[in-house]
Amino acid sequence: MTLNRDSLIALCLIMMCGGLMLASFEIREPDYGVLSPAAWPRLIIIIISILSVIYLLQSIGMPKEDKDAVPRKTIGEFIFYWRNVIAVFSIFAVYLITLPYLGMLIGNVLFSFILLTVLGGWSSILMHLLVALGASGGMWFLFTFALEVFLPRGSLTGL
Amino acid sequence: MDIFLEALFNIIDPITLIYMVIGVGAGLMAGSIPGFTIAMAIVLTLPFTFSMPPAQGLATMISVLVGGLSGGLMSGILTGIPGTPSSVATTFDGFPMARNGEPGLALGIGVWSSFCGGIISAVLLVLFAPQLAMVGLEFQPWDFFMLVMFALTVTASLAGEHLIKGLIAGAAGLLIRTVGEDEAVGVGRFDFGSDYLLTGFDFIAVLIGLFAFSQLLSDLRNPVTARNALSDRKQVKVKIEHRRAIAILIKNWVVVIRSALIGMFTGILPGAGGSIANILAYDQAKKAAKDDSKFGKGDPRGIIAPETSNNAVEGGALTPLMALGIPGDITAAIMLGALLMHDIVPGPTFIKDEPALAYSIYIAFFLASFIMIGMQSGVLRVFVLVTRIKTYVLATVILTFATIGVFALHNSIEDIWTLFFFGILGFVMRQLGFPLAPMILGVVLGNIAELNLARALAIDADPMLFFVRPWSLFFAIVAVFSMIFPIYQKHRDTGSLIERLFSPLVLLSLSLPLFMMGGFLRTTLAIAAIAISSFILWRRFGSSKSKV
Repeated sequence: MTLNRDSLIALCLIMMCGGLMLASFEIREPDYGVLSPAAWPRLIIIIISILSVIYLLQSIGMPKEDKDAVPRKTIGEFIFYWRNVIAVFSIFAVYLITLPYLGMLIGNVLFSFILLTVLGGWSSILMHLLVALGASGGMWFLFTFALEVFLPRGSLTGL
Repeated sequence: MDIFLEALFNIIDPITLIYMVIGVGAGLMAGSIPGFTIAMAIVLTLPFTFSMPPAQGLATMISVLVGGLSGGLMSGILTGIPGTPSSVATTFDGFPMARNGEPGLALGIGVWSSFCGGIISAVLLVLFAPQLAMVGLEFQPWDFFMLVMFALTVTASLAGEHLIKGLIAGAAGLLIRTVGEDEAVGVGRFDFGSDYLLTGFDFIAVLIGLFAFSQLLSDLRNPVTARNALSDRKQVKVKIEHRRAIAILIKNWVVVIRSALIGMFTGILPGAGGSIANILAYDQAKKAAKDDSKFGKGDPRGIIAPETSNNAVEGGALTPLMALGIPGDITAAIMLGALLMHDIVPGPTFIKDEPALAYSIYIAFFLASFIMIGMQSGVLRVFVLVTRIKTYVLATVILTFATIGVFALHNSIEDIWTLFFFGILGFVMRQLGFPLAPMILGVVLGNIAELNLARALAIDADPMLFFVRPWSLFFAIVAVFSMIFPIYQKHRDTGSLIERLFSPLVLLSLSLPLFMMGGFLRTTLAIAAIAISSFILWRRFGSSKSKV
C-alpha cells in the first residue's frame, strides 16, 4: 500500500496529537478552580485526533487518480519550484536573528533590499536600494516620530 | 441623545476624519489589487489603531473595510481580474460593459451600488443589532459555548468537500489559543519551559502571520508572476458617470434591495462573507430577470447585484459581533481583536454598556460610505499607478510594514517570531488545502469558548445541560446540520434520500428548542416549522409514491 499526501498529513496530525496529549500531562493541576487547566486542551486534542483518523480513512479511500494527482519531485526540483518561498523564509529568519544586533532601521533596510534583489534580480539594483531605503526609512520615521513607538536599536549599530 | 452626540463628536473629530479618509483610500487600494485581500488590509491596520482611542481605531478600521469592499470593483471592471473574491461576479458584466465602451458607467453603477449596499446594511445594523442583543441577554454560558461551536462548524462547512480539513483547522485554532498561561487559574500550558511560549502567542501577530504573511508568500511563489505588474496601462481616462448610474439604480431599486438583503443575511452567518454573497445576489438577479439574455454581456443588473450585496455583507457580519460578541466573518473577527485589544469585550450587554462606542461604529459605517463615494475618482488614478508596481516590490514593502506593525503591538521581537512561525504555518496550510477562516475564528474565539465552558461547569457540572437548554440545543442542532450540509450539497438534484430529508429534518429538529423556549412568537415559529416540514415531506414522499 502506498501512502498519498493526505494520508501522510493525517498520520503527522495523529502523531502530533499523541505528543501534545503526553505534554498535557505535564500541565500542573492546581487545587482550586472547577475546570482543570488541562481539560480544555485535552478535549480539543481528542477532537483533532478523531478528525485526523477520519481524514486518514478518507484519504486511503480516495480514488487512484486523486492519489496520483500530486506529481513527484526530486529534492532539486522541489527547491527550484519553491525557491522564492524558501528565499523569503531564509532571509526573514536571518533578519530576525540579526535584529537585536543590527536594529530595526538597518535590519529592515537590509532585509528589504536583499529580498527585493533576490526576488527581482540584479538588473534593478538601484531601484531596489531606493525602495528599501524609502519604504523602511519612511516607516521607521513614521513609527518613531508620528506614532511614538520605540523601535529596537541594534547593539552593534546603535541605530 | 447625549450619547449619540458624544459618538458623533468622536467621529467628526478632525483627526478621526483624517484617519477615516486615509483608511478608505488604503482600503480602496487594497481591495483593487488582486491578491491583496481586504482582511489583509484590516489586519495590517490593527497595529496602527493600538495607540488610538477605541472609537477612533474602530472608525479607521471600518473605513478600511468599506473602502476595501468597494475597491474590488475597479480592478474587476477595468482589467477583468477581480480585486477581491467578493467582486468576482462584478466582472461578469462590469468588464464587458467597460469593453463595450462604457467603463465610466460601469464604474458609476458599481460605486453607487456599493454605496447603497453599505447604507442599507448600516440601517439594518442599527435596527437589528439591539434586537439581537436583547435575545443574547437570554444566553447563559452553555449557550455561548455552543454558539462558538456553531460558528466554527458552519465556517468549516463552507470548505465544502474539505469539511474535515475545515474542522481540523478550527480545532487547531482553538488549540493554538491554549498555549501559555491559563486565564482562569494562571497555570502554564504547552510552554515546554520556554518563557516565550509561557506568555502565549499574541493573537494579532498570529492573525497577521496566518493571513497576511502566508498570502504574500502565495503571491510570490511563482517567480515569473512575482516579477509581473498587474497591468501595463500607462493611464486611464475614465470619468465616472454618476448621474446615469444613479438613474439606472433608481430604475432597478428592487435588485438593489434584494441584493442588500442577501448580503446582509449572508454576512450574519458566521464565515459566509462577500465571496458567497456576490455570487448569490448575481444568481438571484439573473433568475428574477424577465429577460436575462444580456447578462454576461454588460447588463447593469449584473453589476448592481454583486456590488450591493458585497457591501451589505459587513453590516450583517457586524450585527452578531456587536450583539453577541461572535464575529460574522474574518474581517469582523479582526474587529473583535481590535476591541479586545482595547479591553472591550463585546457581548449582549455591549450596546447597553458601551453605547457611545456602539453609536460610533454605526456613524463611522455611514460616514465611510460617503467618503468612499467622494474618493473613488481620485483613487482610480492612484490605482493605475499601483497596478504598474511589480508584485514582489509590493509584497516586500507590505512584509516590512507588517513586521514593524507587529513589533509595535507590544514592543516585542518575540511577536515578530510569532508572525514568522504562523506565516509558515498559514502558507503550508494553504498549500495543503486547509481553509484558514476556521482556524482564525478558532484563535479569536478560543478564549471565549473555554471561559464559558469553565463558567458553565462551575454553575452545574452536568454536561447534559449543553444539550437540554433551549438555546444551546438550538445551536447544537444547527452545528450538526451545518456539518451535514456539504453532504447534502453534494447530493442536490440527485433525488437521493438525504436531499429529500435534509430541509424538513432541519425544521423539525429546530422546532424542539423553539417549543422549549416558550412564549407566543417562538411557539408559533415552532408550529410553523412543523407544518412546513410536514408539507415538504408530504410533497416529496407523497408525490414519489403516486409516481410508483
